[in-house]
Amino acid sequence: MADLSIQIRDEDGVAVVEPMGFINAHTVRQFESALEDLVAAKKYTILLDCQSLNYISSAGLGAIMGLIETVRENGGDILLCSLQDNVYAIFDTLGFTQLYRVFANEGEARQALAGKSE
Amino acid sequence: MKVAPPPETFRLVIPSQTRYLNLVTGLAKRASLVAGMDDATAAKVSIAVDEAVTNVIMHAYGNEADHLVEIELRFMPTALEIHIWHTGHGIREDQIFLPDPGEYVKHPRKGGLGLLLMSRFMDEVHFLEGQERNECCMIKRVE
Repeated sequence: MADLSIQIRDEDGVAVVEPMGFINAHTVRQFESALEDLVAAKKYTILLDCQSLNYISSAGLGAIMGLIETVRENGGDILLCSLQDNVYAIFDTLGFTQLYRVFANEGEARQALAGKSE
Repeated sequence: MKVAPPPETFRLVIPSQTRYLNLVTGLAKRASLVAGMDDATAAKVSIAVDEAVTNVIMHAYGNEADHLVEIELRFMPTALEIHIWHTGHGIREDQIFLPDPGEYVKHPRKGGLGLLLMSRFMDEVHFLEGQERNECCMIKRVE
């Protein structure tokens, strides 16, 4: 099994990115490249669905951090949902839960986005 | 006088390549569970080990793939000690700069978070310079 696979789908203009497996220094380029491709395609509202993400190291956090300003400058955002406990602990320890909106599941995240656009 | 037995140890030597990170972190997590930690704590130890070994590969060895990283897990009576040795560029503890997470939130940027995670998730983190090799030593106490 690959260390990381990534599924991306469009849901009403929201790019839902579902990384499955591990994001560390070995796999981060694949993750970073997927996010960069979305930004290049002007997809500035990105929802990271982390239900199948077992693990993320600082390399992965850096990849998200590297794009947050760009997407927000263009009226978008990077949101997170369905974080496993150990992944949430990493985000929370570094204070990232203040920087990103975190939701219990994809439905709640999309509801929040829909509310914003009304 | 009774001499304490040496700690039980587990040693792994890997090439300085990130493809082996999962192997090391998986071992660190399992070792933490064997040492008596719960799942959440074991996950934190494995992250700290990932960060430490990544630092060695990327910074101490400058991403050169033909070096070795030696990892030793020591099962102490009240703690798990993790020693990571390498022959690349060493780092002194007085060179360590831990970023303020609050500043990251205000001014997002890439990099610098690995050491912070190591220090937050482990009870002790030390960097030791030796004559022939350098070491990162991390300790997690077992509650």
